[in-house]
Amino acid sequence: MKYALLLLAVFLTACSTPVPVSQRFPNVPNALVEKCDSLKKVEGDRVAITEMLKVVVQNYGMYYECAAKVDGWNDWYLEQKRIYESVK
Amino acid sequence: MSQIGWMIGLLPDAMLNWVYWVIIAVGITGVLAGWLGKWIPFYGNYVKILQPVGIVLLVLGVWLRGGYDVEMSWRAKVAEAEARVAVAEQKSQETNTVIEQKIVEKTKIIKGKTEYITQYLDREVVKKEEIIKYIEQCPVPKEIIDIHNQAADMNKAAEGKK
Repeated sequence: MKYALLLLAVFLTACSTPVPVSQRFPNVPNALVEKCDSLKKVEGDRVAITEMLKVVVQNYGMYYECAAKVDGWNDWYLEQKRIYESVK
Repeated sequence: MSQIGWMIGLLPDAMLNWVYWVIIAVGITGVLAGWLGKWIPFYGNYVKILQPVGIVLLVLGVWLRGGYDVEMSWRAKVAEAEARVAVAEQKSQETNTVIEQKIVEKTKIIKGKTEYITQYLDREVVKKEEIIKYIEQCPVPKEIIDIHNQAADMNKAAEGKK
């Protein structure tokens, strides 16, 4: 009887199988996955300074568009990380 | 063994709970009957069988009931985790929308500003006498243009397309 009670105490531990709950990898906004355009070049041999300046202005614009995407990636990563860690 | 677990899983939880309690009750009854049977005349022969059967049923019942509680507690944890994940996925989607809108808005402003400066250059700057004179007298040397174009292409060198 004593052994049976001891055995009973052992079996009280029972067993379990944890079911994993998986979190889907977050999607990335479409605006972030667009590639940055290549910078424009000045065409022609004899070019006025204003024509060259136009190309420079357009290239600055393209740089800032690309920088906005990089900033967007940083924001996306930090926000998604914060959300992911809040689930734990 | 897993098939048995799967088949048991098909039964409703409340029914399983009752089945386990019945096994425990039968086990306790068997143990008590075996203990009391010693004092009942002509009943002594059954004691040898009733007591071990009762103990086995009691142990089995307690084990199954314990497993049931653990299972229920895990299911509750899983449900809680799933709810948290659902909230997180919703937040993630909302964050994506906010970020996308922000980028689209920034890009629109930058494009607009670029367009404005270019138009201003064409509309106002090229009409100024000083600029007209400068343009006529000083075209940009080819070497300067080449250096500018090389600089614009420097990413190709980094990509191995020199």
